Amino acid sequence: MIIEIGHYTLVLALATSLILSIVPLIGARRNDMAMMALAPVGAIMTFLLVLISFAALTWAYVVSDFSLKNVWENSHSMMPLIYKYSGVWGNHEGSMLLWLLILVFFSALVAVFGRNLPDSLRANVIVVQSWITTAFTLFILLTSNPFARLSPAPAEGQDLNPVLQDLGLAVHPPLLYLGYVGFSVCFSFAVAALIDGRIDAAWARWVRPWTLAAWTFLTAGIAMGSYWAYYELGWGGWWFWDPVENASFMPWLAGTALLHSALVMEKREALKIWTVLLAIMTFSLSLLGTFLVRSGVLTSVHAFATDPTRGIFILVILMLFVGGAFALFAWRAPMLKAGGLFAPISREGALVLNNLILTVATATVLIGTLYPLVLETLTGEKISVGAPFFDMTFGLLMIPLLFAVPFGPMLAWKRGDLLGAMQRLYVAAGLALVAGFGLYYIQNGGPVMAAFGLIIGFWAMFGALADLWHRANFSKLPFNVAWRRLVGLPRSTFGTAFAHFGIGVTVLGVVMVTTFETESVIEMKQGMTAEAGGYSLVFDGMRESIGPNFTEEQGHFTISKGGVAVADTWSSKRIYTARGMPTTEAGIVTFGFSQLYVSLGDPIAGGGMVVRIWWKPFILCIWGGCVIMMIGGFISLSDRRLRVGAPTRKAKPAKAPKLEAAE
Amino acid sequence: MTRKQKRLAIIAGGMSFILAAVLLVMFALSQSVAYFFMPSDLAKTEVSPGTRIRLGGLVAEGSVKRGEGSTVTFSVTDGSETVPVSYTGILPDLFREGQGVVTEGAFDAATRGFVADTVLAKHDENYMPKEVADGLKEKGMWQHGEEAATQ
Amino acid sequence: MFLWIILAILTAAVAAVFLVTLARGSRPAVDDRAGEIAVYRDQLTELERDRGLGLISAQDAEYAKAEIGRRLIAVAGDADKDADCPAPRGGLTATGAVMTALVPAVGLSLYLLLGSPQLPDQPLEARLANPGNNMALLVAKAERHLAENPKDGAGWDLLAPIYFRSMRLADAELAYRNAIRFLGPSPERLSGLGETLVAGTDGIVTEDARLAFEESVRLEPGNPRARFYVALGLEQSGRRDEARAAFEAIAKDSPSDAPWMELVQQHIASTGGTPQATTNAAPGGPTSDDMAAAEDMPEGDRQDMIRGMVESLAARLEGDPNNLEGWLRLVRSYSVLGDKEKAAEALKTGLKTFPAEGDEGRQLIALAREIGIAAEGVTQ
Repeated sequence: MIIEIGHYTLVLALATSLILSIVPLIGARRNDMAMMALAPVGAIMTFLLVLISFAALTWAYVVSDFSLKNVWENSHSMMPLIYKYSGVWGNHEGSMLLWLLILVFFSALVAVFGRNLPDSLRANVIVVQSWITTAFTLFILLTSNPFARLSPAPAEGQDLNPVLQDLGLAVHPPLLYLGYVGFSVCFSFAVAALIDGRIDAAWARWVRPWTLAAWTFLTAGIAMGSYWAYYELGWGGWWFWDPVENASFMPWLAGTALLHSALVMEKREALKIWTVLLAIMTFSLSLLGTFLVRSGVLTSVHAFATDPTRGIFILVILMLFVGGAFALFAWRAPMLKAGGLFAPISREGALVLNNLILTVATATVLIGTLYPLVLETLTGEKISVGAPFFDMTFGLLMIPLLFAVPFGPMLAWKRGDLLGAMQRLYVAAGLALVAGFGLYYIQNGGPVMAAFGLIIGFWAMFGALADLWHRANFSKLPFNVAWRRLVGLPRSTFGTAFAHFGIGVTVLGVVMVTTFETESVIEMKQGMTAEAGGYSLVFDGMRESIGPNFTEEQGHFTISKGGVAVADTWSSKRIYTARGMPTTEAGIVTFGFSQLYVSLGDPIAGGGMVVRIWWKPFILCIWGGCVIMMIGGFISLSDRRLRVGAPTRKAKPAKAPKLEAAE
Repeated sequence: MTRKQKRLAIIAGGMSFILAAVLLVMFALSQSVAYFFMPSDLAKTEVSPGTRIRLGGLVAEGSVKRGEGSTVTFSVTDGSETVPVSYTGILPDLFREGQGVVTEGAFDAATRGFVADTVLAKHDENYMPKEVADGLKEKGMWQHGEEAATQ
Repeated sequence: MFLWIILAILTAAVAAVFLVTLARGSRPAVDDRAGEIAVYRDQLTELERDRGLGLISAQDAEYAKAEIGRRLIAVAGDADKDADCPAPRGGLTATGAVMTALVPAVGLSLYLLLGSPQLPDQPLEARLANPGNNMALLVAKAERHLAENPKDGAGWDLLAPIYFRSMRLADAELAYRNAIRFLGPSPERLSGLGETLVAGTDGIVTEDARLAFEESVRLEPGNPRARFYVALGLEQSGRRDEARAAFEAIAKDSPSDAPWMELVQQHIASTGGTPQATTNAAPGGPTSDDMAAAEDMPEGDRQDMIRGMVESLAARLEGDPNNLEGWLRLVRSYSVLGDKEKAAEALKTGLKTFPAEGDEGRQLIALAREIGIAAEGVTQ
């Protein structure tokens, strides 16, 4: 009965989102408060309905109710409890329901936190959200219903794909969807504003927290996914330029551009048309990603089981929303008034450069991802565009961007002083040069490009610090005065500094790992020693062990430096019994920011194993930088200015002004 | 410079940046695109040694041999033709005889054998790489029933 | 029934929330530019602060202030215009009525189309506590028990033949071996193990299997099944004379209407002896012995023999359909013969006697699922 209630609430959610797709829209046109008031109430109700539905499915997983086809296909009664929870979204149907849950969650958030918005804007945003909700609820109910039943119920499930039986699955998809789907709010804001025909600086201020939240979660989701693939797949790679990865990376790039262009629009009311277009594009790329991942039109190492009918359904949704939004844009955009003017060397100019590069970078990734598909459709030729393409194009494009990063925040709005900015940055530049070459010499060897890459990474890091240094004016004022000024800076300034610092850290990690990692594949017999990254690994032998739903063969390695044992690790190969499927569990040992990565191959005749050992210098910087960016996002999000705009006519005391007073 | 000239300069700058990017993309595409072949395609078309391609098909039964060190040799077949492949490194977990596989690499000029540097078999045991599935369907080695079973 | 009450309450609650909101918030929309004004005011404050901190030059601050001021004026102008337009009323009741109708209409019609209201929740624990005679559940229960008490020989003993019958050969072998290990060898277990091994090697009596059968014969000299396989092993290893003698001995010791007689006679013939005429045994359908034994006949003969047996079983079931075991065996036989269509057909006919809702019907469907034939219209 619980399951059927869950199924029914999902159907009811379709009914409510249908109503919300129409009634508040009419209300906004007629200026009718009652009809508009339906939007927030309805959005919260739809969220509750989908939440019940999601809870029912989760319950079915936890109690192993195999009368649900979805549970039978993706769960097993002996699976550890945590994977029973995370298994809910470890498959196509369940993950679509999570997608939907997060979508309506964002609609509900707009309803709750949107009190500072004009009524018609809020109503219209929820209307557009409800269009998306309706489309995806229909998609779930008609093509991928997680509530399909089996009768009689089988006695045992088919188990969750072993690769997904990992903590990574519990964390990665929810974070990723919070990002992906979060951009739907920006899309809805853009479409709603186009419907209203009123787009100004205030609009940019209102969209900013949503962009920031989605961007922050997407950063976290991508980083988490990358780390998961790194330790779980046993290949030692952290980014493959795989279509599925690109699908999440493109919205991130476009979202980063949006974050910056919205800033220009908020301050100067310039770049209006462009910002609205970016908001539409970012979510369109999210939808495109969903299509690529679910339809199986591209070969990927990460995809779900795919189904052409689903692909067509999503393609229709994609065309409808993207096509509709662009049509609306084409119709309304010419009516927008042009904004403020600015000189090429100015904060605005720097942000335009940022947008130009990020958009072109997004386009190259898009071309690389879709080119095989287009070529096959047109000529039938099958090709693949590999990592070298992306490394070459994307890598080269990032150089001018990273070079410009520290300048941006230093330039004044409207008309900047490049010379002044340079004067403030020369210390950072000097430090970056010293640190880059220094690290290069310590690591010794490697192409000259690497030193250049390291310098660029440090340049972004020190540039971010220099920005804070000069804003607080440490160079002129006594330390304690400057410190007080520093603490008093707006939080978004810290957010910017953290994000720019983080990008530098990530670049540093990427350059270090690509240039200085070592990889060796060797046959090791018991007692043999291998060298990697200045450490020696002794292979102590194998043992067998049994887990809850797998058996494994584990190899033990002792790691020593200069004859002193410093660590040890187990690396193993598992066989999951229900599916008879093998996985590799690499042994990973962390030294500072660097890691030793040991994965087992096949046994060799006469005892011993093929062992693959990587030394990954500074690899943790890659994800560490993302974490720093994410922290920057949250700091910015907590900036009081993002909550401003509560109309005074509301009798209820809003929370925001109180917090303001406290700050 | 007048305001108009300034504007033109900015637009020209942006355009030339985009133009540079387009040229870069075209250059990169011409450099790093790998064509996909099935063994019987290779019988029809000559691929010069050193050209990077993707070779897909089924791992022929009984063909996997572990040689010196961690080098493995096996054959990729599509039912009519077979191509011997050698690969140094650790094979993916799901690499099995009779299963679908995609290898990437080039033909060696001296030995005429295919030397792969990447071997892909997917996470999902039901998985058949799309290109391989399409290729096998054309040859009638892959039934729809099997495909439905993966759902 | 209880489910329907809850669904009705949910529907009513959703409709009610919509209606109440619609009825309550009937004031006209007021000036909604206040939000924008607040944003611009805040920008002004921020500007002042930046100037105070010296982050921005006085000249720039003046420019910015003028710009924000212009925005404020523009908004205020708009707001005046907006305030003029009154909120039109009416059409409310119509909207309300449409909505009240839409929620249950969409909800119920789609749910009736997609949902399975008749199916209760079936958490595994509850089903295991009360498995009825659902074979798959009983097996699952036994498996769980054995996972916790792997030394329970009786459990393995019980499970082994079930595994064998459902062709889970590796599990069957393990179960037989465990049963023998914990309970000691018995003719039944040894023969079972032997048969499992033979089935796993496509009918070849391997060394392991031969040892098991010989041990079984040693424990129970008269056991015709074990003796048959020992003889078969001899035949396969090319010792035709010994094999013939062994087959003849089995024939001599067995009643002439024993179901295995026909097969034994065939083997006597194939090893060069003269088969005795036998009374045609009652059609029992091919047993697993027959199946395994038939494996090493010439291809044509084998198919004919099995087909003959299956056909006679099918004919018997047509006359007397109330035989679950018979249907199960028929479906399995067809699937072993590789005839999925006939298997599906047999399943369908069987389901007419044993509807899918009943326990027997479920067994049929469980079998069908296990061997991978579709039972259309039954699973949802």
